[in-house]
Amino acid sequence: MQTEIKYNPDFATIRVTFEQPGEQIVTEAGAMIARDTAVTMTTNMRGGLGSALKRKLLGGESLFQNTFTATAPGQTVWVAPAPEGAIEFIDLQPGQELFLQSGAYLCSTPGVQLDTKFQGAKGFFSGEGLFLLRVHGQGRVWFCSYGALHAVDLGAQYNGYICDTGHMVAFTQGLSYTVNKVGGMKSLFLSGEGLVCTFKGQGRLWMQTRNPGGLASFLHPFRPVKSRQN
Amino acid sequence: MKTNILYRSSQTIAQCWLEPGESLTAESGAMMGMSTNVAMTTQSGGIGKAISRMFAGESFFRNTFTAQGGQGEVLLTTPLCGDMVVLECGRTQWLVQNSAYVGSSYGVDVQSQGSLKGLFSGAGLFALATQGQGDCIVGSFGAIEPIHVTGEMVIDTGHLVAWESHLQYKVTKATVGWIDSWLSGEGLVCQFSGQGYVYVQSRSTSEYGAAIGALLPPRQS
Repeated sequence: MQTEIKYNPDFATIRVTFEQPGEQIVTEAGAMIARDTAVTMTTNMRGGLGSALKRKLLGGESLFQNTFTATAPGQTVWVAPAPEGAIEFIDLQPGQELFLQSGAYLCSTPGVQLDTKFQGAKGFFSGEGLFLLRVHGQGRVWFCSYGALHAVDLGAQYNGYICDTGHMVAFTQGLSYTVNKVGGMKSLFLSGEGLVCTFKGQGRLWMQTRNPGGLASFLHPFRPVKSRQN
Repeated sequence: MKTNILYRSSQTIAQCWLEPGESLTAESGAMMGMSTNVAMTTQSGGIGKAISRMFAGESFFRNTFTAQGGQGEVLLTTPLCGDMVVLECGRTQWLVQNSAYVGSSYGVDVQSQGSLKGLFSGAGLFALATQGQGDCIVGSFGAIEPIHVTGEMVIDTGHLVAWESHLQYKVTKATVGWIDSWLSGEGLVCQFSGQGYVYVQSRSTSEYGAAIGALLPPRQS
């Protein structure tokens, strides 16, 4: 299978071109733009109801996933995420892991498995949810962001890195993080920066250059006002 | 401070490198990430200054980032999609539309400048004026276009990002009559004269907000 990411970092899209019949790609529900009519599409809860529910409720992903299977060489599928932004991929080997923020998973080859990882109190305080999506197995996984994806290599380039909680998208195994405030107590309430994730270890961290909360809070005052009923 | 502008033109961020001990000032909430040896402090710069900044549409507080014990890196971003540009301050000083300010290097002082003109320009009651030597980073909503004014130019107030402070400007209605000006949807415009650059943004936040916000479910008053 040949894959190409187009239109990064603004409106990224993946074109998958199958080379062999039987090749498959698994996507989030709703991610398909187009496919050859001869490509078979099946919808299922991968890993059974329990594991799908966990992904949905804890990992922020859709309950169902779609599997696209080629029936002849040269067939294509186009895939895109919901938000405007970038797509990146990594190739996982057995024993390697990738951690994704909820909503960041887009699609993968069939050998890739998803489950959730409990974050404990730091997930609660980071405002990002209690669970991260843990991606492992063998194959390629594509993930998406709101805004461009900025990668930072820890261990080689930097000893550690601080990332605003709303901008964290993904990180590889070998990295660990703590959630803390930046600056003093005054900064916690007044700086507008709130809490940050401090990463340590060896691996790669991806951040998104925009925060969906920023757009939402910009638009909020423009909403029509409903007068309170007496 | 060395600045690298990345992911232009709509998902832009500013990657700022600081020498050991060097610092930069940034708009509240603009920090997306930084190296662990950068320390952040929050300053209001005195209550009077802070209040006048609030009137300018800027946040009450600004943050100062200082590299400690080695080179530091700070990534600065904007809440909305758009581009960024680095303005060199020194021989030329700039007036910056209130919400366009992202950050500035240590030697640059950015003060709100009150004027009645500012009140009507839609750029808020105040524009921000740069002083000193160094770089000032400004961000736009949409793409940024530098317009070289030679003589005179009329620019919609909602599309202003920054302009050279030696340019003369006055706020006028868009066409001759008041009713036509209102009907044209252009409202008030800035009439620039002189020689110099004006940076404009390809989208206006207030028009975008009005177009999209009207489609959202109502909020409680």
